[in-house]
Amino acid sequence: MKTSKVLVFWCITLGLIIFMTIFSQFLSPYSPNDMNLDEVYQPPGQNHLLGTDHLGRDVVSRLLEGGKVTLFVAGFSVLLSLVIGVIYGGISGYIGGIVDTIMMRILEALLTIPSLIIIMAFQMFLQSDMWSMALILGITSWLTTARIVRSEFIRLKDLEFVKMANMLGTPILKILFGHLLRNSIPAIFIVTLFGFASAIFMEVSLGFLGIGVPPEIPSWGNMLYDAQNDILVGAWWIGLFPGILIFITILAINFIGDGLRSPKRRRLGA
Amino acid sequence: MTVKWIGKRTMIGVVTLLIVSFLSFFIMQSAPGDSASAFYGGNAQTLNNAEKERINQVFALDRPLISQYGAWLNETIKGNLGFSYKEGRPVATILMERLPNTLILFGVSLLFIISGSLWLGVSAGMKPDSLLERSLATISVMSSAVPPFWIGILFISFFSVKLGILPSSGSADIAGNGGLVDKLRHLIMPALVIIITHVGIYARFLQESVKAESRNYYVTVARANGVAERTIQKGIVRNAIFPYLNYLGMTIPSFFGGSIIIESLFSWSGLGQLMVKSVATKDFPLLMGGILLTGVIVIMTLIIIDFIMYVLNPRLRRGAYIK
Repeated sequence: MKTSKVLVFWCITLGLIIFMTIFSQFLSPYSPNDMNLDEVYQPPGQNHLLGTDHLGRDVVSRLLEGGKVTLFVAGFSVLLSLVIGVIYGGISGYIGGIVDTIMMRILEALLTIPSLIIIMAFQMFLQSDMWSMALILGITSWLTTARIVRSEFIRLKDLEFVKMANMLGTPILKILFGHLLRNSIPAIFIVTLFGFASAIFMEVSLGFLGIGVPPEIPSWGNMLYDAQNDILVGAWWIGLFPGILIFITILAINFIGDGLRSPKRRRLGA
Repeated sequence: MTVKWIGKRTMIGVVTLLIVSFLSFFIMQSAPGDSASAFYGGNAQTLNNAEKERINQVFALDRPLISQYGAWLNETIKGNLGFSYKEGRPVATILMERLPNTLILFGVSLLFIISGSLWLGVSAGMKPDSLLERSLATISVMSSAVPPFWIGILFISFFSVKLGILPSSGSADIAGNGGLVDKLRHLIMPALVIIITHVGIYARFLQESVKAESRNYYVTVARANGVAERTIQKGIVRNAIFPYLNYLGMTIPSFFGGSIIIESLFSWSGLGQLMVKSVATKDFPLLMGGILLTGVIVIMTLIIIDFIMYVLNPRLRRGAYIK
């Protein structure tokens, strides 16, 4: 009972953040890229609710618009990694044997390279915009999904109902999608949810290193990149608020994932 | 038997390293950025085609890819990682200069994380439904939701800008003599940021594992037979430590990735900062060397963790013997 209340609370929080960023055009008081050099480094106050940055841009507006970019990049990349992960893990788990061993060896090798490094290498030569950013994040983050899908498929394929279906001559596609994939959905959903959180984390980290989405597009990561210098002149509000928003968003996702996972953790083996 | 196990584990590590090297090499090669102009730097547009060809020839960039890879691998095994495009010095030398700093940061933070999470996790797991346990669950979720570098920014703004007691960047004072105290002062903030953001998750994992272990039948039986509580706890911890070590091994790569960001933030002159810089300057040999060395560090750490598990767990030992 208590868990579900907590769950609802965090779902509403996350929903609210997503809603506000999607409709940022209507909600933000200024245009996110409007510069006003008369009002640089305004502390939070009446005209600008959360202050302005080093070019006099309104922090609230940039937060909302930046959230849209960050969440879009994270969302798209997670969908991509979901597709790749399900295909890779599915093949590996369903076929099994030597194919499975080889595919898992490759996966393990990939897992030992910090994904940030691969992303940095990719980022060096891809045209950096929102789409390529999402693409890179998607390409590099499917490993965990593939692992989970594989273990789910291996577990499910030895169960009686799948063996039965095989015996009765059910088409392979139907077994794959109708039985194996469908029954792995709870586990896949949770790993995707956590993947969403880590994609946000990655976007923010890259933006922070100055190699994320191009600086002219506001995103939470880029705002934190600017904040590095602003903090030294004492403008704490530029870095504080994006951080808090990132924190709340990821917290909400983590709590939702946690809440969904805990009662059935045993079964999911996640 | 143990020798055989180590040999096998090392083989797996070497194969993994080969894949890593292959991957890093081809990512670098498929980069459209022209190496010749990258080498030439700011005056690249004054470069004519003949000059470009000459540079390509000097660096053997006109040969087919696979032979380039072969040559590179051959030299790498001999310990020659090539020369940095930007600095002109051997990559191996540059990497070796940076390695100690990275290892210090990595080692110190890992040490504190392991000892902290062991202590917290075990004491929380032994007391189910206590305040400690519940707060640990919440704190771990919260601490894993904070971007570490954001904490870093807040730390800099507080400790360096406001209070002015700790240096905001670098790994040694320019004016300092590079002594131990100097190094420690620079180490405090980066290490602290990494520890704070990681210790919770590991402690929580251990706590869950301890809790799951205490529900086992043998614990109930031991308790019913009046075995001393200390002995029971020892047994529980011994068994609960394996999933924890496993988890530690799994998360080492992302942990290392995180320390790259922290190194950049605090200008800690380690491998991570070097690699971020080499991406910006398109310094391929340096980045490749960096990736390879990172792979070596990660794989070594994994082997060490595996070895600890092997020593602690008789079942693993027997499994290796049968094979």
